[in-house]
Amino acid sequence: MDKNSVLIVDDEPIVRESIRDWLQDAGYHVATAETGEEALEIIDRQDFSVMVLDLRLPGKTGIKVLKEVKTQRPWIKAIIITAYPSAETAEEATKLGAADYLIKPFAPDDLEKLIRETLNSVVQEPKVLTEVQVLPKPPALPTVEEVEVKKAFVISKDGLKSRVESLLKVMEVVGVKSKHGKYVYDKISSFDELHLDYDVTVMPPTRYLLPARENLLKFDVGAKPKVKPVVETVPRAIIGVHPYDIKAIELLDRVFLTSNTDPNYSTRRRNTIIIGVDPLNPSPKSFAPSMGTAFAETGFDLLLTDIGDDYMVTVGSEKGADLLAKYAKVRKPTGDEIAKQKAVREQALAKYKLSLDVPRERLPKLLEESYDDPYWETRSKTCLSCGSCVMVCPTCFCFDVQDEIALNLKEGERFRNWDGCMLVDFARVGTGENFRHDKASRLRHRMYRKGKYIMERYGVVGCVGCGRCATACLAEIASPLEAFNAIAESARVKEAAARLLREARPETELYVPCLADLVKVEELTPKEKVFEFKLQDGKKLGHRPGQFVEVSVMGIGEAPISISSSPTRDGTFQLAIRQVGDVTKALHALKKGAIVGIRGPFGNGFSLEALEGKNLLLIAGGIGLFPLRSLVQYVLDRRRSFGKVILLFGARSPSERLFIEELAQWKQSPDIEFHETVDKGDGSWKGNVGVITTLIPKVEIEPAKTMAVVVGPPIMYRFVIGELKKKGLADEHIIMSLERRMKCGVGKCGHCQINGVYVCQEGPVFSLAQLRNLREAV
Amino acid sequence: MEPKVAFFDFTSCEGCQLDALNLTGEEAVALLNAVDIVNFREVKTERADNYDIAFIEGSITRESEIPRLQKIRAQAKVLIALGTCASIGGINCLKNHLPMEEALKIVYGKDARYYNTIPARPINAVIPVDYYIRGCPPVTTEIIKVIKALLLGKKPDIPNYPVCVECKMAGNVCVFERGMTCLGPVTRAGCGAICITSGRHCWGCRGLVEDPNIDSEKEILKKYGLTVEKVIEKFKIYDTYAEVAK
Repeated sequence: MDKNSVLIVDDEPIVRESIRDWLQDAGYHVATAETGEEALEIIDRQDFSVMVLDLRLPGKTGIKVLKEVKTQRPWIKAIIITAYPSAETAEEATKLGAADYLIKPFAPDDLEKLIRETLNSVVQEPKVLTEVQVLPKPPALPTVEEVEVKKAFVISKDGLKSRVESLLKVMEVVGVKSKHGKYVYDKISSFDELHLDYDVTVMPPTRYLLPARENLLKFDVGAKPKVKPVVETVPRAIIGVHPYDIKAIELLDRVFLTSNTDPNYSTRRRNTIIIGVDPLNPSPKSFAPSMGTAFAETGFDLLLTDIGDDYMVTVGSEKGADLLAKYAKVRKPTGDEIAKQKAVREQALAKYKLSLDVPRERLPKLLEESYDDPYWETRSKTCLSCGSCVMVCPTCFCFDVQDEIALNLKEGERFRNWDGCMLVDFARVGTGENFRHDKASRLRHRMYRKGKYIMERYGVVGCVGCGRCATACLAEIASPLEAFNAIAESARVKEAAARLLREARPETELYVPCLADLVKVEELTPKEKVFEFKLQDGKKLGHRPGQFVEVSVMGIGEAPISISSSPTRDGTFQLAIRQVGDVTKALHALKKGAIVGIRGPFGNGFSLEALEGKNLLLIAGGIGLFPLRSLVQYVLDRRRSFGKVILLFGARSPSERLFIEELAQWKQSPDIEFHETVDKGDGSWKGNVGVITTLIPKVEIEPAKTMAVVVGPPIMYRFVIGELKKKGLADEHIIMSLERRMKCGVGKCGHCQINGVYVCQEGPVFSLAQLRNLREAV
Repeated sequence: MEPKVAFFDFTSCEGCQLDALNLTGEEAVALLNAVDIVNFREVKTERADNYDIAFIEGSITRESEIPRLQKIRAQAKVLIALGTCASIGGINCLKNHLPMEEALKIVYGKDARYYNTIPARPINAVIPVDYYIRGCPPVTTEIIKVIKALLLGKKPDIPNYPVCVECKMAGNVCVFERGMTCLGPVTRAGCGAICITSGRHCWGCRGLVEDPNIDSEKEILKKYGLTVEKVIEKFKIYDTYAEVAK
């Protein structure tokens, strides 16, 4: 390529011609174009070092032209000129890779200087082994009706053979060959080496778009380092690509061609012809139909189906149409042949033995809910961390980047090579920290990518169901199908259990309260009372600490009230209630013997499984003690199941202290370390004065072994969390109970929703780790 | 002033040193421009006791080798274990399964009384080692890579993943799928899976990765038809020192 070649694109003749004259005088070789379309046509034929591009053009805008040029010839340096500058266009142009932005009118010297600098900043001439035009422009198509994109034709087997043989003369042809009884993609030198009826290849064809190792840059080191991009490719046809691999390539296109276009991938992709073939003998490990990848409608240039004596060939692109048109021995299929194609495809479908037990659209949600499933831990025990699964995966594309320097220590290259999230060091940073240090988290991450993350990020399936990883994995744990089905099964078991519980209660009773007798009332403070109820049907409430009930006073209404007593005590349950609204006011007026309605228990309650065996730091502010008391009682009744237990309680003033007798008992108890404080003391108060956060620094905890449970007014949370983080507690170890408006308690009415979560269903108890993703929460 | 480099051999076949020399003319010139080789028995007869970087080949099998190695350590600013014997003990350690007298008798017959020997060990059992270049023999490009890294003052980038990664990159059909067994899944890569690419299987000459899942590999070898003895034998060939130490 001519290093001093410049293309000027401007619709104003005066601008175009004056720039041309200046630059020609300065020794550049200049071509001009009046419109974007004209510019693209010229660039299609000829390479340039620099393009001077006006933004406002008739027809295609400068931005569109820039975008296309950058995919076609990413190395061309673009200098944007405009009389209508704006921050938006400048930013957009820069994002698209414009080298500079010049505002009209400008002096000739300024432009010339800019071009000179642009040329010197990066050595041009990327190493492109081919000029970009893959094929000579074909002779005129026979007729448009004959060979057209999206249509299918019939080509004889001999016809296909001579087509491939003629391709071999103009480019590298890669196809499926047999090796050690398996199939591999490799360069072929004759059609007869091809196996078009293979089941699956060891490695996917994606390596021809994203090689195991490729150079990205060449550089000189030293005081004045020089850097130049390296793009290496040859025109190549890949024959025999199965639809699942075609789908994988479509994913790679999304990853590498949309936003931050990868020049190396882009160049190679444009120089690659994909000739697919329908798999008629699928691999026994494949589950492509479940992933929607058994057939492809797009993503190929041509697609073959073996229909016996001939092949049906479907045209998928203009490139494919050109290919076929150049060799006109195709004809339209007969009705029988179309029926035959349909039949062989259906026969092939019937041969798949494996399938997903859930629709693939549900995988993201299923995985989302299975983060803590024990599957990851148990299944990853035998993982060798050998990386075989990610290496053979057509949808894996992660890479490492390294510098390699020559022995003269003066020049070197920066290359990338395959890397994968199943390898131990994948997420290790310079300081030694490894963000995915255990096998379970790596296995989970890979499965999340395959079933969730890629789908969410790129809108297409992250696993194409080829089954290669299942074959490559010696420990037999790599198959996403198996993982997805296993967690689906575990979700089904959970769901079945939940259904069993639901069904135990007839549907008509969802909103019908059970009647309960008020057996005892006790005043705690002038505003708060504790009520003891007994269900009339004689059953236990069956709650866990942290759950709540909906209490009805018929005619007044229903209110959500947390349960203050432990399920370990008696056949009654206690609700401590502050008088704040209509229902609580009515409740406060009730006397022993009154009857109320109770629905519930509702909500998740405190996860006793997560708390058992741990040290507990229980923190209650004000009436936060109401729900927490249930847990305190539970812990005291099952004392041996827990480690060291510390309880902190803060009230606003001595007169607002709650459950005074119990506080005194806890103070005496050897089973619990109890501290309390009041915000404001009075004459009689001899204890701590200060907000509850002042107690936290005074207690000693082992952060790794301690779970903190915090219940109190919303204002309290932020400060308490701050203190707990100072103590070194992880987000997963900080548990909170949230208060929200709740009308139904059964996940229907919508009042309690925080972002996507219903507090009455997934809450009211959350870990801080969960809340970090719920921005409305605290 | 180029850093002075010295090569030393202990109990070994000296194949590692030969591999360090397996350079093209151009590479050799570049290497000699970059460093000053002051001590290299395979190349030159002159010797010097003044050096910065020491490459140690071979394992330690005689008492007399210990003070010699310690002296080198005291002199060298950077000391590198070159090859499998120096890095992990290598095949010399096979004799550790026998009483030393018996080992001597097998090797030297009636002349055994003229020799003495101690259980074989890698050099890091005697002195601290800065870097390891594993392999039997090591890969020339890796030796050069380490030298370049030292010249640039960066940590040599030696793979900590198993041979499987490079084997897949090479596009091989898995050895297990071809009815053989292989130590690739737990053996440190860096060799480019050369043995498998050449039609053989991995013998584990570069030693284990940092955190190998040995139990799982043993189960897999058994699943593919190896007896427990055969499995142990497989692991013994190169990495017996670590195995016996357990």
